[in-house]
Amino acid sequence: MSNRNKAKSSLRSRSEVALRNIVVISMIVFFVVFFVIPIIVAFVGSFYQWNPLKVQFNFLGLENWKKIFSSDLFWRSMKNTVLFALVASFFRVVLGLVLSRALYSKLLKHKSLYRTFYYLPTITPMVAVAFVWKFIFDPRIGLLDRILNSNINWLFDGRYALIAILMLTIWKDFGYAVVILLGGMYSLPKECYEAAETDGASSWQSFISLTMPLLRPTILFIVITSLISYFQTYIPVMGADARRTGDKNLSGNISDL
Amino acid sequence: MKKVFPIVFLLMLVLSLVACNGKPTPTAATTPEMSESAGETLPVMGNVIQYDPNQPVNNGEDITVEMWYWTGAANMFQDLADQYMAIHPNVTITLVENPWEDYWTKLPLTLQGEDGPAIFNIHNSKHDILISYLAPYDVAVEDLEAEFVGASGHVIDGKIYYTDYGLMTATMYYNTDMWAAAGLTDADIPTTWDEFREVAKQLTIRDENGDLVQAGFSYNGGIQGDVLGMNYQYGQNLFTADNEVTLNNDAMKAVIQRLKDLYEVDGVGDYNFGNNSGDNFGQGSVAMYLGWGFMTNVLKQNFPDTSFACFEIPIPTEVIPYAFHRYNGESTFGVNKNAPADQQTVAQDIIRFFLANDSIQKEFCLANAVFPMKVTLQNDADLLSIPSVAVLADHIDRYIWPGAMPSTVEDNMKIALEDIFYNNVDITTALTAAETAINDDLANSDFVSQEPMYKYASEAISN
Repeated sequence: MSNRNKAKSSLRSRSEVALRNIVVISMIVFFVVFFVIPIIVAFVGSFYQWNPLKVQFNFLGLENWKKIFSSDLFWRSMKNTVLFALVASFFRVVLGLVLSRALYSKLLKHKSLYRTFYYLPTITPMVAVAFVWKFIFDPRIGLLDRILNSNINWLFDGRYALIAILMLTIWKDFGYAVVILLGGMYSLPKECYEAAETDGASSWQSFISLTMPLLRPTILFIVITSLISYFQTYIPVMGADARRTGDKNLSGNISDL
Repeated sequence: MKKVFPIVFLLMLVLSLVACNGKPTPTAATTPEMSESAGETLPVMGNVIQYDPNQPVNNGEDITVEMWYWTGAANMFQDLADQYMAIHPNVTITLVENPWEDYWTKLPLTLQGEDGPAIFNIHNSKHDILISYLAPYDVAVEDLEAEFVGASGHVIDGKIYYTDYGLMTATMYYNTDMWAAAGLTDADIPTTWDEFREVAKQLTIRDENGDLVQAGFSYNGGIQGDVLGMNYQYGQNLFTADNEVTLNNDAMKAVIQRLKDLYEVDGVGDYNFGNNSGDNFGQGSVAMYLGWGFMTNVLKQNFPDTSFACFEIPIPTEVIPYAFHRYNGESTFGVNKNAPADQQTVAQDIIRFFLANDSIQKEFCLANAVFPMKVTLQNDADLLSIPSVAVLADHIDRYIWPGAMPSTVEDNMKIALEDIFYNNVDITTALTAAETAINDDLANSDFVSQEPMYKYASEAISN
């Protein structure tokens, strides 16, 4: 390589190294400042009676931990949160699979239109969604009770509040799974399906034996991201004003502290 | 260029973080018109607490003070600032508005430093997070007690840090059109709960299927603030001598049972007939609703087509009770003890101006639809024309202030009532759980009940 090219190459490498260092260091700094340090501070704070508004920082030892683990409300909230996360994730994946398979079918026309409708709830702000569903759940003027011909106070009755929030969440989020899974289906090797068709496999057999196993990584991705998101659910509960405080999820109860 | 871009990007990130320091943008101070009587002697204001506007503030030197308040009070505070600055043109009052939720985070954090507002609006429910930042008033306690009802309840170690300019409590709002349509007149206005139940039945309308069309009375959406007050009608205090809450008692059970009976026995309402009885009242589907004084202006603003009036909260029997209900006070302002000394002096002067000034006091009371605590205003015709205020005049001294109750009291009572009304938990179990949770929280607070300071405290039944 000529000296001139070597010099150019060397300059490019140095600038690339510099760029890499700046980006990586800034990401690390961001992560440490906004994630690691707050987690450490919160953990240390959990051993104190800490109210920054009153400049109160009194050491309590394990009292806070004892209080929360012996609290009936905490365990009910945990149960609700786990149940909510599992059920919402399950239906998100199942609905996503069913609808994406339908959209993938050659028999279906106007696929873009359906994709748009299914994805619209996903991109709608959650606060707006929760606010509208609050009216849908209203026992006097709400659409849901009229359709079901029932008289259920969805957001106030402890038997139905969790179901109401699940309906809202699944309605809002299934479109995300549809789009991801549809993309996954389009990326699957067509030779497998051709071979299966040659062997006489039905659509259902192809779906179970080919599509599902091949989509496993995608499904796993959706399940994990769903669980992460649903364990932190806060806006749908507060936005819809689900009043059964005792059955709030963990985020809702943390916000009350 | 490749090196410059990431550096510029980083700088922008840092700058955007610095810019988001949360300090609210102050409103531009209006320039008041110079007093037409500049150079002439202005009359001294007030009765016991007096304010001489002719005395210069800050030796006549220019000074700026910040005054914080929460959203919804802009006009009142602008008027106050304008009136004060007209008298003292060397003083600039910068008004800073914050939404209610943000106010109670930003204010105490700002007060910890030296650049916080010199004077700020107070709500007594936030007493425990504010008291350590307050400077005592430069007004004699005995003068405050002489001019303002209830001031004695705010004395701490011989000093007053704020008092109440207005009293707010619950009154029964009723739809006058529905009242007339049911054939009722002023003579039918109930004074006892039994009379109330009969009137509520007359105001209830159901369709041919038996479904509720018009509720005679509704309390959906949160009546915890009123349940925590109706116990006094039976002579039962909310707090014990040890400053612990007592809920699991006969009085509270009677109050809650009556509410249940109104729906389940009398059928005048339904737990599922709307989730916000105040809104439902304004929308014209509820005939009577127990609401606090601020609802007067809310209803006028949001539901101008709904005709309403008020009557005093009913009582168990014709005998005047220990107390009709509890009240809460709309508080005067706080002075920041960490502000520079000259700003504190101006803040104290503004306080005295406010306390001595009947005109501005009246304006604040009208805006909040509260009963005036200043004795010289208690016969004011304009204030007594407010529906929710007029009905209190005859028994104003029969309303009790329990003190600045920590929010845990209402929060846990709300949970208890939801369990009772919506989840079939029996009253004793729900009240016991609420009592335990509240007392656990109160153990970590400095709350002291003001019930012993009540004028008729000796009439309370012993716990």
